Amino acid sequence: MRIQSLFLVSITSLGGLFLVGCGAQGEYKGMEFAPNMYHSVAYEPLTQIDDEEAGTFVSTREDGKGEFFNSNVNNPYQMNMREPVANTVPRNKQGYLPYRMPKDSLDYAAAVVKSPLTASEDVVAQGKELYLRYCTHCHGQNGQGSEDPTAKVGAILKGVPSYSVGRLATVSEGHVFHVITHGKGRMGAHGSQISEENRWKIVSYVQKLQKGSN
Amino acid sequence: MLKHINTVAYCKTVLLGLLILSASIFSPAVYAQDANAISTDPAVIQQGEALFKANCKVCHAVNEQVVGPALAKVYERQNMDWIIAFVRNSQKVIQSGDPYAVELYNKFNKTEMTAFDFSDDEIKSIIAYVKQETENPTVAAPVATATDGATPAEGSASAGMSSEYFYIILVVLFVVLVLILIVLGLIVSVLTKFLNQQGNLDEADKEIVNSKTDLGAFMKSKAFVGFAIFIFVTLVAKTAVDGLFSVGIQQGYAPKQPIAFSHQLHAGQLEIDCNYCHTGVRISKSANIPSANICMNCHSIVKTGPQYGEVEIAKIYKAVETNTPIEWVRIHNLPDLAYFNHAQHVEVGNVECQTCHGEIQTMEVVQQHALLTMGWCIDCHRKTDVNTADNGYYDKLVELHNESSKSPMKVVNIGGLECSKCHY
Repeated sequence: MRIQSLFLVSITSLGGLFLVGCGAQGEYKGMEFAPNMYHSVAYEPLTQIDDEEAGTFVSTREDGKGEFFNSNVNNPYQMNMREPVANTVPRNKQGYLPYRMPKDSLDYAAAVVKSPLTASEDVVAQGKELYLRYCTHCHGQNGQGSEDPTAKVGAILKGVPSYSVGRLATVSEGHVFHVITHGKGRMGAHGSQISEENRWKIVSYVQKLQKGSN
Repeated sequence: MLKHINTVAYCKTVLLGLLILSASIFSPAVYAQDANAISTDPAVIQQGEALFKANCKVCHAVNEQVVGPALAKVYERQNMDWIIAFVRNSQKVIQSGDPYAVELYNKFNKTEMTAFDFSDDEIKSIIAYVKQETENPTVAAPVATATDGATPAEGSASAGMSSEYFYIILVVLFVVLVLILIVLGLIVSVLTKFLNQQGNLDEADKEIVNSKTDLGAFMKSKAFVGFAIFIFVTLVAKTAVDGLFSVGIQQGYAPKQPIAFSHQLHAGQLEIDCNYCHTGVRISKSANIPSANICMNCHSIVKTGPQYGEVEIAKIYKAVETNTPIEWVRIHNLPDLAYFNHAQHVEVGNVECQTCHGEIQTMEVVQQHALLTMGWCIDCHRKTDVNTADNGYYDKLVELHNESSKSPMKVVNIGGLECSKCHY
């Protein structure tokens, strides 16, 4: 009787200690309950299981691969993401056609390209919000470039110009838009990160900063 | 007669011109004596400094190669006419086949220098400033290194503050406890002495006053054994239940990533906005892992990091050069049966990234902060007010809600607990 109860106690405590190892930590993902639910069979963004053996123990697949294998064998790097078909033209809800001025026609863009938005107070405010998100770390909150204390990255890159001094104070909206889209000098192209409409909103705020007001 | 004088004057000018020309070719020091001499007038230097800072500094430094070459001693490498021509229209100089200009152009990856419409005097003033900086460089406070050094120290101090306080409070409490015990012991001994000295105690009272604690008997007493077993069983049960509840929960998962990217450095120290890299977060279901071109916006220039030097950043270059995707390890993974949309929460709901992802700007290695269980979702939906400000969509809902309730509209009030909101 006494031995039995002792045995029971030690078994439960061992079991308890064993379960402690189920939690995730560092490299260990933790024990998964019903793993089929975590490893999507369908294609998911930002997930790819290229191990063909993964999940063989629950596999019901006819091709004999593991249940969790979900890479696209036909695509390069077994990825699901593809580039759009060549010469297709994306259209957004505002009906903008993509900006197709090539990188080297900055002067032409500066002279010709005009904003489809009117720089109303609302647009400038939205532009400011976007500016603070995408531009501040290099150009500073007030657009003073590397000199601006809020431009933490700009201080490392060195030589980020101020919008309101010298040549930059007078460049046109088309110039600013073209530079955001394609980059210039050491600035990278931001066309892939920021939508066309948002880029124009940022331009409206930058035009304000060029006048030295913030 | 007049004509004769003119001819003499003409000859003299030509001779002088030839002299200057030969001097300029053979000795830059002598060259500095002519009309194109570099001024040392402080006013001119000041004008040059202003022009340099406003126009040239973007791409040039005097004593350091930035985008374009370092300008130190540029006045010794080329004569003033060449410099003026190059600044006004560098492409023209390059196209004319000037060997030095062509070499420079090729050396700097065919980066075109912007044409500047400066007057001769303006360019000369800039060169005067460059000369002064070449000879007596201003020792500028290194901004980047200063922030590098100061910020992490501050950050760790503030992060360690709360736990430090916690320990101090614990120690103080322990000391107070010990002091109270000592005082109690003293009181007991004083009282015992006092009672014994009184002498008017009967046997029963004396036994109580002078009783000694028998440790062995106490250990064997039923009350103690029962209590010990209770404590033991409770502890085991708690670990078992905790263990069971940790099954399927990946909180604390912090895998090693293919590139040792530090959010502490990028988002914390350098204050790069989350949206800058995670571009999908306001427009799509997933926040998105940035593609290498976004890394390259800065890392085309920044080639060494403070912690790993060139090793980790070189991995981006390799990925870009070979056009190979970087295989980041996914950390947050909701099971397929639950739907979650980032845009809905961040753009519409105005939820901070940190609410679910924790203090990401202090994480050297990202780890899963939230439980990501259904209870965790529901809990937040019950507590959180809907962000209805400036959103016409909610006007009627708020009106309806306010008719029947006085508390602000929570997510639960607009169907935040409906099964089919997330499971379909």
